Amino acid sequence: MSGHRIAAITRRLLQGFRRDRRTLALLFVAPIVILGLLGYLMRGSSSAPQVGIANQDSGALGSVVANALRQSSHIKSTDINASDGDAKLKDGSLVAYIVLPADFTQQAQAGNVAPEVHLEGSQPGEDTPVIQALQQAMISLASGVAGRNVSFQPHITYLYGGANYDTLDYFGAAFVGLVVFFLVFVITIVSFLNERSQGTLERLMASPLRRGEIVVGYMLGFTVLALVQAAEVLIFALAILRIHNEGSVLLIFGMEALMAIAAVNLGIFLSMFARSEFQAVQFIPLVVVPQVLLSGIIFPVSTEPTPLQWLSDVLPLTYAVNGMRDIMVKGADLTWGSLELDAGVVLGFCVLLIVAGTTTLRRRLG
Amino acid sequence: MSETYTVSVEDVSKSFGAFKALNGVTLRVRQGEIYGLLGPNGAGKTTLIRLICGLLEAHAGTVTVLGQRMPNVGVLRHIGYMTQQAALYPALSVEENVRFFAAINGAEDGVKEALELVQLYDRRGSVVATLSGGMRQRCSLACALVHRPELLLLDEPTVGIDPQLRVQFWEYFRSMAAAGTTMVVSSHVMDEADRCQRLGLIQYGRLLAEGTPAEIRGQGGSQNLEEAFLALAGRRES
Ligand SMILES: Nc1ncnc2c1ncn2[C@@H]1O[C@H](COP(=O)(O)OP(=O)(O)O)[C@@H](O)[C@H]1O
Ligand SMILES: [Mg+2]
Repeated sequence: MSGHRIAAITRRLLQGFRRDRRTLALLFVAPIVILGLLGYLMRGSSSAPQVGIANQDSGALGSVVANALRQSSHIKSTDINASDGDAKLKDGSLVAYIVLPADFTQQAQAGNVAPEVHLEGSQPGEDTPVIQALQQAMISLASGVAGRNVSFQPHITYLYGGANYDTLDYFGAAFVGLVVFFLVFVITIVSFLNERSQGTLERLMASPLRRGEIVVGYMLGFTVLALVQAAEVLIFALAILRIHNEGSVLLIFGMEALMAIAAVNLGIFLSMFARSEFQAVQFIPLVVVPQVLLSGIIFPVSTEPTPLQWLSDVLPLTYAVNGMRDIMVKGADLTWGSLELDAGVVLGFCVLLIVAGTTTLRRRLG
Repeated sequence: MSETYTVSVEDVSKSFGAFKALNGVTLRVRQGEIYGLLGPNGAGKTTLIRLICGLLEAHAGTVTVLGQRMPNVGVLRHIGYMTQQAALYPALSVEENVRFFAAINGAEDGVKEALELVQLYDRRGSVVATLSGGMRQRCSLACALVHRPELLLLDEPTVGIDPQLRVQFWEYFRSMAAAGTTMVVSSHVMDEADRCQRLGLIQYGRLLAEGTPAEIRGQGGSQNLEEAFLALAGRRES
């Protein structure tokens, strides 16, 4: 071991980085961006869920509990008619609604209340604040029944999913698409760069090939690979992991295919801005991580701080993730307006990237 | 017009930022001729060849190839371009590489002939990553000529290959020229100059002299081409 020779290696490394501004920027800017985003997402979230209250109690105690629910910090409540509840769960304006039945006061006096809790159910853990709020509201019953102990047995129903529906079901639906998107993106950006660095792109440019032909040819080639991968991922997710699926397998596959095509074109487009594979790999944290954080996979878009919601609304992955969940969790088909929107946005994004990739692929090298 | 040229470069200049890579270059190549573009490293040979096939656009002057102003996509199918580094797909076999370049030029029927010409037909199944430098260079040549172009642009095709293969390459070039193919061959090795019908000497982006090897010797006042080149370069500087 020679300290001198080791120092030579260390010095050479640092000298190289001094000239590579982009890598330096990545090294010092990216962690702040990613952590900052994460912090803002988690701390800044407006997280109290929207809960509807339908008080049908003919007695007095129902409105006491309803009042206590309105004061709760765990939920944001609105008064609704029980008959509108399911529609509001479906359109996403409510996460849950609570029905206090007509004989609620009698139940309380008999010592055993069973309010109905209707949950949207697609997102694990969303029942916790609702049950918490309800439990606290029950304390206010104590005065009404003169100190008698009231046992509390809510009657819980789920619009989607159900009691067996777990975290993997929720995340799995989104990850099936994300895995394909991510891997296809990395493979495309690196192989397109190879084409540049090994000099074959110059040869292609000096051939009668049109730019559009190069881009579309690449797209088809990688899409074939991506579709095989998508099929494999899907079979594994459904048959081995037994991820909850309500929708059509063909539709899931179609959505995966759209995401793969978007990823291919994103890779081609971004490879124009990298000079080496090293730089290309740096696009991964910068492009992929914020998109994953903001796409609603982990943190539902509706609970994000408002400025981040705007950002989420223009990122294609948000729509892709939402579409996958709609299909797999809610059993959406193409008659659903929301799924049409999701698929349409991802498709539009593909077209936009094909055009962008083609125009940035310079016919001339200088 | 008394004569039409396959390639005609008229008073062309090209800059990269503030740096003038080519400065008022004029040269003409006749059909079926082997034209040698000679000059040291950094003289501007590659830049000139990229201008001729339209990869770059001149800032001043005009480039005309087969009667068309360049850049022109329509002319490209009549041009074969062998880049300075052997630009091939390392994961594909020799034949797959040649077949690919044949296909994008719409000339798949030329694959066997091209492989035979560069004597790689027996090695056609070998993956390019496993080939020696000389074989790669031959494969690269096959890719450039598989569509039987009217104009072949060869950027330092004989750099880094052994003398035996170099002799072979010049034999290919001569037989193709005899069959009517026009060739522009760049080199920084002066002793290849005698194999060309006409030469353009280039340095610092300027054309120093143009003519047959004998004419260049006469202009430089030396039987040795290397000395003639140095004399011409010195005259230009003083
Ligand atoms: N894309 C480019 N950007 C900047 N400078 C370039 C570029 N291409 C070539 N040059 C410069 O132009 C000069 C001529 O280069 P080149 O044509 O490759 O020379 P040769 O092929 O004769 O060795 C060199 O000094 C080179 O650094
Ligand atoms: Mg060169």
